[in-house]
Amino acid sequence: MKMMELLLELTVMPLLAFTVGLFMVLMMRKIAAKIQRRVGPPLLQPLYDIVKLYAKETQSSHGLLHDIGIVMAVGGYIAAETMLPVPGMNGIADKAGMLTLAYVTMIPSLGLALGVGQCANPNGSIGIARALTAMLAYDVPFVVIIFGASWLYGSNNLVEVIAAQQAGGIASWGVTQMPLLAIAGLFTLYAMLGKQPFEIYVAPAEIATGPMVEMGGKHLGGLFVMQCFQLFTASAIYVSLFLGGGENWLFFIAKLFAVVAIPMSMAFVFPRYRTEDVLAVVWRWPMLLGLIGVWLVMR
Amino acid sequence: MSHSLLALVVALPLLAAFLPPLLPGAIRRLLGPLALLLVAALGVYLWRITLIEPVSLALGDFRPPLGVVFYVDSVAALFVLAVALVTLLLWPWRGDTSENLDRKQSLTLVLAAACGGLAVSGDLFNVYVFYELAAVAGYGLAAGGGTAAARVATFRYLILGSLGSLLALLGITLIYFRAGTLNLAHLADLAPQTLHDPFGLAAFFLILLGLGVKAELFLVNTWAPEIYATAEARVSALLAGLVSKLALLVLARLLVLVFPLPEARGALLILGMLGMLTGEFAAFRARDIKRMLAWSSIGQLGAAFIAFSIPGSLGLAAGLAIALHHLLVKPALFLLAERWGGGLARLAGAARRSPFGAALFALFALSLIGVPPLPGFWAKYLLLSGLAAQPDNLYLLAGLVVLVTTVVEAVYLFRVIGMLHGRDAAHSEKPQNMALDMTLPASTLAGSGAFAALLLAVALAAPWLTAPLARMALQMNDSAAYVARVLPATATSEATK
Amino acid sequence: MNALDILLALSALMPPAALLFGRWRGYAWLAGMVLTGQIILLAGCDLPLAAGMNLEIFGRSVGWRLDAFGRFFALITLGVALASTVYMGGEWGERHAAGGHSPRWLHGALAGNVLAMLLLLSSQDLIAFFIGWELTSWAGFLLMAQGGEKALRAALRYVPYAMSGAMAVLGGLALTLAWTGTLDLAALTGIMPTLDNTKLALLLALFGMGFSIKMGLLPFHLWQAPAYAEAAGAGTAFLGAISARMGLFALALLLVKLMTLTRVADLAFIEGLFTARDLLAWVAALTIVLPTFTALKQNDARYLLAWHGIGQGGYMLLGIVIGDATGSAGGLLHVFNYATYQAALVLAVFAVMHRTGTADLNSLGGLVTRMPLTFLVMLLGIIGLAGLPPMNGFVSKWLVYRSLMLDGRPLLFLMTVIGTLGTILSVYKLIHNTFLGQLRAEHEQIREAPWSMTLPMLALVILAFVTGAAPGLALSWVAEAQAALGLPVLAYTLGGIESPRGNLDMLWIVGVLFAGFGIGALLFYGAGGRSKRVHQLDNYAGGHFLSADVRYHYSDHFYAGLMHRIGPFYRSSFTRLESAVAAATDLAASLMQVWYRQTVPALTLLVAAVLGLSWMIWK
Repeated sequence: MKMMELLLELTVMPLLAFTVGLFMVLMMRKIAAKIQRRVGPPLLQPLYDIVKLYAKETQSSHGLLHDIGIVMAVGGYIAAETMLPVPGMNGIADKAGMLTLAYVTMIPSLGLALGVGQCANPNGSIGIARALTAMLAYDVPFVVIIFGASWLYGSNNLVEVIAAQQAGGIASWGVTQMPLLAIAGLFTLYAMLGKQPFEIYVAPAEIATGPMVEMGGKHLGGLFVMQCFQLFTASAIYVSLFLGGGENWLFFIAKLFAVVAIPMSMAFVFPRYRTEDVLAVVWRWPMLLGLIGVWLVMR
Repeated sequence: MSHSLLALVVALPLLAAFLPPLLPGAIRRLLGPLALLLVAALGVYLWRITLIEPVSLALGDFRPPLGVVFYVDSVAALFVLAVALVTLLLWPWRGDTSENLDRKQSLTLVLAAACGGLAVSGDLFNVYVFYELAAVAGYGLAAGGGTAAARVATFRYLILGSLGSLLALLGITLIYFRAGTLNLAHLADLAPQTLHDPFGLAAFFLILLGLGVKAELFLVNTWAPEIYATAEARVSALLAGLVSKLALLVLARLLVLVFPLPEARGALLILGMLGMLTGEFAAFRARDIKRMLAWSSIGQLGAAFIAFSIPGSLGLAAGLAIALHHLLVKPALFLLAERWGGGLARLAGAARRSPFGAALFALFALSLIGVPPLPGFWAKYLLLSGLAAQPDNLYLLAGLVVLVTTVVEAVYLFRVIGMLHGRDAAHSEKPQNMALDMTLPASTLAGSGAFAALLLAVALAAPWLTAPLARMALQMNDSAAYVARVLPATATSEATK
Repeated sequence: MNALDILLALSALMPPAALLFGRWRGYAWLAGMVLTGQIILLAGCDLPLAAGMNLEIFGRSVGWRLDAFGRFFALITLGVALASTVYMGGEWGERHAAGGHSPRWLHGALAGNVLAMLLLLSSQDLIAFFIGWELTSWAGFLLMAQGGEKALRAALRYVPYAMSGAMAVLGGLALTLAWTGTLDLAALTGIMPTLDNTKLALLLALFGMGFSIKMGLLPFHLWQAPAYAEAAGAGTAFLGAISARMGLFALALLLVKLMTLTRVADLAFIEGLFTARDLLAWVAALTIVLPTFTALKQNDARYLLAWHGIGQGGYMLLGIVIGDATGSAGGLLHVFNYATYQAALVLAVFAVMHRTGTADLNSLGGLVTRMPLTFLVMLLGIIGLAGLPPMNGFVSKWLVYRSLMLDGRPLLFLMTVIGTLGTILSVYKLIHNTFLGQLRAEHEQIREAPWSMTLPMLALVILAFVTGAAPGLALSWVAEAQAALGLPVLAYTLGGIESPRGNLDMLWIVGVLFAGFGIGALLFYGAGGRSKRVHQLDNYAGGHFLSADVRYHYSDHFYAGLMHRIGPFYRSSFTRLESAVAAATDLAASLMQVWYRQTVPALTLLVAAVLGLSWMIWK
């Protein structure tokens, strides 16, 4: 019985994540449109885009690995969502923990990297090299934050971290308990989402959209799906660590969108960093804040 | 049994050295080896009985301290055996001319006799005589290479050696002046009253410097690289392998019996350390294999000096182990170096010409740097455990010196091994004949292989050899027994006095 | 004859057998069977076992006795040797022999290494230990030197390091004997912790230095990469996978069993702030980070892997130094995990070399279509090396991370993660430059590596995958080893660990991950239009047309942006340190030679005599 319930959760959780992600994409595009004084896309535009890409007549593949890369990118996130507790559902979060989640979320990137590599386009390879560099940049403060949270709540288990926050109300939320880490986290999240000024690996004018250069049709559709998942995952992790997770779906979704909205509202007014500057800025400010924050937490 | 057999140790080789001119050719060539074989057999026999109890012999039945005394404990017996065996393995079978060969063989036999004499002598006068005999034979052999360089080197060696002898003689005179005797047993008995003062120490130091010339002691070892680089490999092997060990043995005996003083040990220790440091480091930059081996042997003898400076039988055991190990390894290496002389770069690819020779070199090198389970390791183990057990920090420093220099030694020896196995010299612009020249002759391989077989036998038998070694060291350390054996009457009379 | 006797006797027979019959084709299979037999025998026997052979030397007994800690390493050794031997026995070995190398010596060196390691791992006292230690060093040297001129040069560079290490150990051994009166390891466990701090610190410094050198810990790591990389293929795999771990074995023995970690933590540099244990932890952490980022700069696949090998050692030591049940289990488990994927990776690189003749990362590319199995091996291998799920490398690293988190070591934790991230970057470059991107025209006709090579590689990565999905399989050995060493024992399950402070269940994680891939595949292949395979030159090129003679592959200076930032941190400080030591030795040597170049030695003799006499008299 318990098993059936769990299996159900495992199926539902990725679906919900994807749906929320779709709307996050919509929000992002809306925000961009507002800043640029456009109207912006209609409600279901992200979904239409995906369907359109999948249904395209010309679908070119550079080989098996090209396809498998996309499969890994999507599949990896599907798996990751089951390790991320949402209101009412824990999935296998208590079997994995924060660290595992952090590492599982690297699998889609690795899959994408393999797929892009197979395309034999230097623009794509350069894009991956930059993306991995960016990952090196933002994952370092990210794990500092994970460390702080797991030290504060005495556990590596996200379910318990959330439970501890909800038990004590806002006063025990991560954001009040470890404000510095929360700021660092927001910064890191921003970098993680890879929007301007951190979109070094897309850089359309330099490397012709980098990883996407050889992607079209289903491949690009897969990437689109991946982006939905990515937005959801990043914001859900942040909410779970700092904003008490989701007491119920309403609050949860409100928090998620709020978290994503902050970087999105800033993103579109910036130009792009150079790769080395991303490293410099991410290793400097969020790192510094994170380390001080950890020191305060451990004191 | 009759202990007068002891005299044969010296007499047989001498006889074989001087008889040949009177004999027909065929027998003449066999006489030397035969004599050495007999001495070797005698050595085995003596070793077996002396392991139980030492023996002594007063020549002509003059009671000590008047007459000439031979004293053989298991250490001396083993050295007698070693002298005979090593000389046999390094026997000069061939010469340029018959006359030249005669001379070489005679000198080698004289050297063997002198070495045997050094091993068994029980008084300082005899020691001096045999030492001079060995020296003269050594000069003759070293110059025998016939090249101008060899003669120059030998001349410098001669000057240094004579000066050394002079110093030794001076030291012996001082001792006689003070104690009125040169019999070691007698001296051991009298030393606490007469010689354990600055005066006595000065005498010891003079003898140390004098005999140290042959033992490649630091301060008086500058002759070694030149001689070994220019002399025949066999001669270098004899000098570095054999003669140095006998000089060392005499010094060790003197230290144990007459001067068991911290100052004397300190001098040995410091000079040993300096010898190790200078020798091994100099070898590091050696540009040809013979000099490298020469410096390496200076370093090894430094280690032996350090070992003998450790008080107690543990130090003696370590010293004996190092000396005997070096006695096995260094002559073999010199033999290999005969064809492999000249610049190190010439060695490139020689392993392909003589794989067996290269393998032997690697074996000896490994043993020399003390890789277990080869015998060199056990020697090093004894030395280091002896040093570590001393309370004085100077001994710990010596331990550090041993460790550091061993690393240096490993580097330069393996550099040679690398050269041997490196790209063939035939690939360089120098033509084939050079490389052909590097092929070792069968005789060299046989001689060196015999040493290797001995070495491996010792390695395999190590667990069974430790007890005899400990026993030998104990015997050597037991000066009371020495006195009692040589001077039964005096000992009792002293006691009653 | 008990199991250990049989084990050692078989291993002792193999080197001579290899030297005699190594040229015979069937030898590899024979050796493989012997090794398999040994593995079965070893895995099945009850421990501890004392060997029948017992020597008495200088009044001390020298003996061999294997416990579960030694067995853990011994099993890995035998397993890696098995894979290497099979690999050597096929086409690769023939090519090696055709290149003028001796198969007999290669097999012999490998067998010699196995024997030496087994002797080391089962040593009962410090003399037996030192014998095993030295044999391991020199057998390792022999194996390193098998790959031609460059290999020989790299092996020679190893000599001063190996010898310094050996001498440090020997010095420690002598002092141990002098201070405790015994060399028996069992007896020392009681006595060594009671020594006073100065003595303990000296012993720790000596032994620690000796063992660190073998393990390639900073700052003694420089020898390792070239020595391991340049060796002959199967030899490289063996060396890389397990040889250096003998240093870890010894360090663990010293730190945990002989000295105990609490005593090590007593040796404070700054009271209460920085102890010898912290120093070790930091050395381990730096060993993770610096060599990993050196690996990132390599352009030769073999060197890249060898440098990662050095870095991975840091995780193992760090886990053990932390010393709790989780951390030490992670450290030990990493030895096993690392051996599986590293051996597979090295073999894969040599398979590529076998077909293409090069390991230069700038002259390969696109081989995935030609050597798919080798690609699969490398893919799984790098996932393991990078420490990502679902491979086993993730589990052991996770254990180490978690113990650092629980122990409250944020900076060390950060270092380990930086190491992992660096590894991800570096291994992606490895697989990208070898297998992805443009296939070169000259590699069009290349075939997959023969079965004699792919089979051992696949076996290794399958093992790495299975023990990743079900780490409990390997953790049972680890727990045994922990118990034998005196560490707290990890409570493990088949899928990982269960603990109130965070669980890990790899069975579920791997299951979900593959379910995710399945759904992803379903979505991709089941929905939407059919995709058409296009040629690699049918590509976006900014308006140009591509042809086979155009190199359209991004490989050199792969992480240009990153290097722009961190490039200035590569200062080659260690290389300079090494040259400085070499130069100082050379200088000392020149000075010493001055003594032997005197023109008038007799004068020196006289001066010395006079000075000596005055010293004797004045004293």
